[in-house]
Amino acid sequence: MAVMFAARDVTKVYDMGAVQVHALRGVSFTIEGGEFVAIMGPSGSGKSTLMQIMGCLDRPTSGTVVLDGEEITRASDDRLAEIRNRKIGFVFQQFNLLPRLTAVENVELPLVYAGVGRKERRQRALALLEAVGLGDRVDHRPNELSGGQKQRVAIARALANKPAVLLADEPTGALDTKTGAEIMQLFAQLNAAGHTIVIVTHDPEVAARTHRIIHIRDGRIVRDERLAPRPGPAAPGAAGERPPHAGPSEEPALEQGVAGP
Amino acid sequence: MSLWDTLRTAIHSLRANTLRSILSMLGIIIGVAAVVSVVSIGTGSQQVVLSNIAQLGSNLITVFPAVPRGSSGRVQEEVRSVFTVAMAEEMESRLPDVVNVVPVVTGRGLLFAGGVNVQANLVGVTPPYVIVMNYAVDRGRFISDWDVSQQLPVAVLGSELAAELFEDRDPIGQEVIAVVGERRQALRVVGVMAPRGQALGGDFDMQLYLPVSTMMERIAKTRSVSYFAAQAVASERAGDAVEQVRFFLTRRLGDDRRFRVSSQDQLLETMSSITQTLSIMLGGIASIALLVGGIGIMNIMLISVTERTREIGIRKALGAKRRTILFQFLTEAVTLAAVGGVIGVGLGWVGAQIIGHYGGWPGIISSESVAVALGFSAGVGLFFGIYPAAKAARLDPVQALSYE
Repeated sequence: MAVMFAARDVTKVYDMGAVQVHALRGVSFTIEGGEFVAIMGPSGSGKSTLMQIMGCLDRPTSGTVVLDGEEITRASDDRLAEIRNRKIGFVFQQFNLLPRLTAVENVELPLVYAGVGRKERRQRALALLEAVGLGDRVDHRPNELSGGQKQRVAIARALANKPAVLLADEPTGALDTKTGAEIMQLFAQLNAAGHTIVIVTHDPEVAARTHRIIHIRDGRIVRDERLAPRPGPAAPGAAGERPPHAGPSEEPALEQGVAGP
Repeated sequence: MSLWDTLRTAIHSLRANTLRSILSMLGIIIGVAAVVSVVSIGTGSQQVVLSNIAQLGSNLITVFPAVPRGSSGRVQEEVRSVFTVAMAEEMESRLPDVVNVVPVVTGRGLLFAGGVNVQANLVGVTPPYVIVMNYAVDRGRFISDWDVSQQLPVAVLGSELAAELFEDRDPIGQEVIAVVGERRQALRVVGVMAPRGQALGGDFDMQLYLPVSTMMERIAKTRSVSYFAAQAVASERAGDAVEQVRFFLTRRLGDDRRFRVSSQDQLLETMSSITQTLSIMLGGIASIALLVGGIGIMNIMLISVTERTREIGIRKALGAKRRTILFQFLTEAVTLAAVGGVIGVGLGWVGAQIIGHYGGWPGIISSESVAVALGFSAGVGLFFGIYPAAKAARLDPVQALSYE
């Protein structure tokens, strides 16, 4: 499978006047298409900064990021907006739905910015809501939906433009355990259907549901742990199995091990 | 993002906060209504004034005594005692471009007829008065040259005056007693004038007209004339006629500050420039309200941008470009201003109708004033919307997303 993300020596320094905060201190990794990856670390580890850079919301101070074959580090603001629109689907902890829009209108938003016609975008939005199990809630506003339902709407919205990658920032952080597990189940299904998914989390249980965990601490990758074989036609074993040694990766795993149940 | 989608989004956002949207429109509504109705009042009243002047008679020239400045130690002369009937005759015969010079002597008196008495103006004139003033006789006849030369005690009544004194009876042949000061003079009514209405300097319909000689010798006991009314031979000679009168009177009176000559053209010009200045002034004041309305919109838009920081962050994360956000907020501001403008035009029209009804002119709203008001209010929305919209567009997506 093709390389989806390639980060090389990515650093991010926030200039807070007197102090300089080093959020990322040289991060390099590669994520291939179809992978299901967790970026895990405690708060302040730089994982959110990393996700913002991967999501083209922010630029690194130095280093390069290649997304789907395109160098995004020096792209213009407008190009970054287009990449966010076409290639990235965001799922946030706080859902970030627009409160005045109905579920289907929220899902339509990325399609509106992509210039998709009214009829087609309504059709696609309805199909996506159906796919995430909310076919009977399309005209509800966010405040009429439960947390899990809101997150499903957000996932449907993230999928609207058939993005190259889904980026989820603590997607279960605002949900109870059971609902969180359902959402993770949905992510697993989407991955099985071929979507590349990157989840940023501090929760080992959430991370354990993925196939690869990139541990990050103090702005550095401290461990790259593979829980399942790399996807693709040549991948040995079924998904869910956790062989101790995955296939060769460009970033050698610093430590291999089993985490979580 | 298509224009239609942008407009729909803007209207959606505005409707989500209906009360606030209406309140922020209020300034524009009031401003536009004020501009539209003031302009309508201006043009309406101007029409009335100008048509009054035009009615006065074609090529009318009036000569009034001016108040001379009294310098120290010299008492100011009596204003009226400068013009004589002889001057009128001389002007008539000597000045080539001036015709129909009418010496007019006015006075206020009490009129008795039957059991009724009415306060009215008595106006001593010569026969050409009706030509100069473009005035028509309804019944009977006007003052004749014979009346003037013989100082006959005859009178012609304005239409309203006739109705007040005689009600339904025919006034012709009846007697009216005029009491001016100590003097009483019986006058026989020989005619009634057609209705004429208000004009500059008084109500024609409430006046009594009599031979100027009768007025001077029998009633006012004066040898001076109140003012002259005359005509230029043709409208293109009006300027020359005025100059000739000025030259003649300056030589005769030895001072060009003791009288004022004005032609109807000058009067029209003066009046229209006065009303125009007034309109511009009022319109200027009204457009300050528009400006204040624009500031109100800017204020609301700034608050709205701050409140919706997170929404802007979400929209940017989903792929909205800077200019998409800019247009979204600009469209909201312009929509607010434009809707306010339309409502304002409606209110202004109603206001113009009401004021026109009481002012006695048609409450006409010119399409120009509507176009200007709407264009101006949309411009105000655009101008005052740019800063908040640019502020929204510039927001950093990461910071906007984490805004609480």
